[in-house]
Amino acid sequence: MRNVETILAQFKEIAANPRQAVADYRSETGKGAIGIMPIYAPEELVHATGYLPVGLWGGNQSINQARTYLPPFACSVMQQVMELECQGAFNDLAAVVFSVPCDTLKCMSQKWKGTSPVLVFTHPQNRGLESANRFLVEEYTRLQSRLEEITGVKISNAALENSIRVYNENRAALREFVRLAADYPQFVGAVSRHAVFKARQFMEKSRHTALVRELIGALTAQPLQPWSGKRVVVSGILLEPDGLLELFDELKLAIVDDDLAQESRQLRVDVQEGNEAPLYRLARVWQRMYGCSVATDTKKLRGKMLIEMAQKTGADAVIAAMMKFCDPEEWDYPIYFDELEKKGVRNLMIEVDQGATSFEQARTRLQSLAELL
Amino acid sequence: MYALGVDVGSASSKAVILDRNRKIVAAEVVQAGTGTTGPRRVMEQIFSKTGLHREDIVKLVATGYGRMRFEGADRQFSEISCHARGVHYLVPEARTILDIGGQDAKAIRLGNGGEVKQFFMNDKCAAGTGRFLEVMARVLETDLERMAALDTAADSPVSISSTCTVFAESEVISQLSHGASRENIIAGVHNSVAAKACGLVGRCGVEGTVVMTGGVAQNAGVVRAVSRELNREILVAPNPQTAGALGAALYAWDDARRERGDETG
Repeated sequence: MRNVETILAQFKEIAANPRQAVADYRSETGKGAIGIMPIYAPEELVHATGYLPVGLWGGNQSINQARTYLPPFACSVMQQVMELECQGAFNDLAAVVFSVPCDTLKCMSQKWKGTSPVLVFTHPQNRGLESANRFLVEEYTRLQSRLEEITGVKISNAALENSIRVYNENRAALREFVRLAADYPQFVGAVSRHAVFKARQFMEKSRHTALVRELIGALTAQPLQPWSGKRVVVSGILLEPDGLLELFDELKLAIVDDDLAQESRQLRVDVQEGNEAPLYRLARVWQRMYGCSVATDTKKLRGKMLIEMAQKTGADAVIAAMMKFCDPEEWDYPIYFDELEKKGVRNLMIEVDQGATSFEQARTRLQSLAELL
Repeated sequence: MYALGVDVGSASSKAVILDRNRKIVAAEVVQAGTGTTGPRRVMEQIFSKTGLHREDIVKLVATGYGRMRFEGADRQFSEISCHARGVHYLVPEARTILDIGGQDAKAIRLGNGGEVKQFFMNDKCAAGTGRFLEVMARVLETDLERMAALDTAADSPVSISSTCTVFAESEVISQLSHGASRENIIAGVHNSVAAKACGLVGRCGVEGTVVMTGGVAQNAGVVRAVSRELNREILVAPNPQTAGALGAALYAWDDARRERGDETG
């Protein structure tokens, strides 16, 4: 049995080399990859074609060409994606699946600079009506036929049901990992924890599940140890780059749960089993999604969710990882900030810029939090 | 027993020495920050002034932007903790701190015992900080010391609407070319700094006695503008630029006390 460190090293290796992951997949299966833009997409449809769904969540490079096409106040994920597009990094993708839940994504979907076909679909704004489900089924049907056209693969109901099962199993395994990581912060620091999620974007999901299960086995074989640091919940779009995560490890701030769009929000809702058509059940996921800034929530339950998350995990604080220039997240923040304050839940806001190379201000904020807890 | 706190900021270096009774022995400022000779010079300056040597210092705590690169510190604390500690020592009734330094601004809310309840720092850019004032002073052909006096002669402060420091500089040049008086522009600049800084205070929640620290607190024009913006009286901490170093010295004093027990001398 491999040890925790070795397995985590494998996750880190995959997370750091998406191009290699795609090349390996291609050589093993003869099939290519399809890009999945943030934030939510029915990846199961892509998986059912046998192509590898690859998350396009930016990078960490200096921004040059993207400045021609994006204003400086576009979020860093989109700046990074645009830079990579301009460099032709995505041109070997068979297609790019593009949801448009925020204004920047809407604009980005209309100015793709790569050569791959862009498959745009729209989530319904009103998530409380049955007609919204039917609307999304129509969108997914259109997406399915475009995927079939491009890949030359007819997506059967059986294949889609299999992909749904693979994804549900993957989400369940990761949820278990999240709970365990909170118990073993000595083994799973912030950088490692993130790598497990990041690798998910570049791996076929049943393989990812197997690796996560192996990690779970290796972790549970270890004795539980007391943690001398603090425990935090993080919320936001994503928490990158590694330089920022290293501060958490350095300051002994264990991430015991997250509400990150790139991480646990992807695990929040499974596709339900049932007799309805698989596309309908996939569409229902959007209506059952909660606690996300881009999914309209008339009841504003994110604050309540974060408070419960902190209470359940015994977290010392909630950290808002505010994606710089992300207005959906900025709009949510004052609401849940007030709720956290009223409940006496310690909280902190740090700014996240994927391309950042210096983290002095984040260090000051995080160190201050660690000092006052 | 002596304890020393050093605050290595982006634009200046500050040092404070406390004696065994927690009294301030000396406080020094050098207008050069991290990455310059400032940290070394402020240490030389404070030792030269007091006649003390490094070996007389039982504990040394560093804070500020350059705290991790300052050699010889026993510990590092964040500026937030140190400003809170320093201000609580100087003005025990303080419940809200507005610290405006060279390139960052912080609003800190304190509890009754001086503990930090909440804080916010500026993000995205350095507009509304000391650097912003420096740039404006240069284009207005004045210096930071004279800006407060010129501000008092303003009769119709101009509006500086740009958030970006560089665009605000262009706006000031445009105002000058349209004949606006230097006094009215300076008052406008002060109002602009105050509006940005008070946005942080608003996020943090303003409570009780408000105290300003940092180099910018020495500019009475900005203090007046902050007072107007918050619609309440503002206290300026004594020697406001060294409040963070004082807080660091207080942490160092605690450590020294712990290490030496009640030993004095």
